[in-house]
Amino acid sequence: MSSRDLVSHGGPAPAQLADVLERVLDKGIVIAGDIQIHLLDIELLTVKLRLLVASADKAKEMGIDWWEGDAFLSRRNGDHALEERLRRLESAAGLESGSEDRE
Amino acid sequence: MTETGWYVYGVVDGDRVLDDPAGRVHVVSNGRIAAVAASVDLSEFDELPDRLNDEEWLEAKARDHESVLRAAAAGGPVVPLRFGAVYRRQEDVVQLLDERADELVADLDRVRGHVELGVKGFVARKRLEDSLASDRSAAGAATPGRAYLERRRAEREVEDDASAIVADAARSAHARLLERAVTGVLNRPHPRELTGRAEEMFLNAAYLVPAGDRSLHAEVDALTRAYAPLALSFEVTGPWPPYNFVGESSREEVAS
Repeated sequence: MSSRDLVSHGGPAPAQLADVLERVLDKGIVIAGDIQIHLLDIELLTVKLRLLVASADKAKEMGIDWWEGDAFLSRRNGDHALEERLRRLESAAGLESGSEDRE
Repeated sequence: MTETGWYVYGVVDGDRVLDDPAGRVHVVSNGRIAAVAASVDLSEFDELPDRLNDEEWLEAKARDHESVLRAAAAGGPVVPLRFGAVYRRQEDVVQLLDERADELVADLDRVRGHVELGVKGFVARKRLEDSLASDRSAAGAATPGRAYLERRRAEREVEDDASAIVADAARSAHARLLERAVTGVLNRPHPRELTGRAEEMFLNAAYLVPAGDRSLHAEVDALTRAYAPLALSFEVTGPWPPYNFVGESSREEVAS
């Protein structure tokens, strides 16, 4: 595949700034340059906070905290009533967890 | 007199040639690996904390970082560096390559032939809650007070159900998408202030997939179709340079 294909195929919309900032500021290899942008500078934290911490709060507000910690894929223990209700709701919506239709 | 330095975007194979029509981006090689770098005016990086909070400056620089890496990724593997690595002299860039060669080569080999795809999940929460509420049978209550209490309790249960559905959908979608990827990571969902959308983001994940492989796209389409009755939708972004899959944490993840 040529680089041209990558660019033109499907015509992706221009990347959202938040997606770019998340990757460029928070991911990638960290090296010690002569001029080091200290990502932990209080000032930059305001940017990072807006991007990451604020969204963490928002997610918690929504009742989502499963991405915290390592065991995000393990379900909360002891909540069988919730599990049961979920199964009912999902089957009512035509979704069978564990046996999703695939192409 | 302006003092110049070298801004380093990322690392590529040592024999790569980059075609930059503007002649701004250069390859600085130590033979084995090479840095993608551009000559910059050091004064631009003065008073950095102020600059970083200048949204226009930050957006321009972040998008430049991204577009240079994206162009580099089109012709071979690239290991993205985090924003803001500037060296005074070209020799210092070569020294960086020498010092961290083993680690950078390992990262290059791991992402070779692969791209990063982002997957975001959104929920139209009001629509989800409305559909859950309409599923409940409205039993007649004896008194207005009792009817009020029952209505409040029903509202709370609907909210809880909606949250449970959203969390379960995120877990289930991530598990399904991992089956279509070499590996994947979960990042924090962006708040509405960042997305500017009416729906709430509940999933923000990234996956490393073979370049040109569309099976993750197909899985995302299948997820969107399956979850449409619950007012959930999924979207793919990218391909991105593999920002989420380089560095120490990635190696630990793969090793474990």
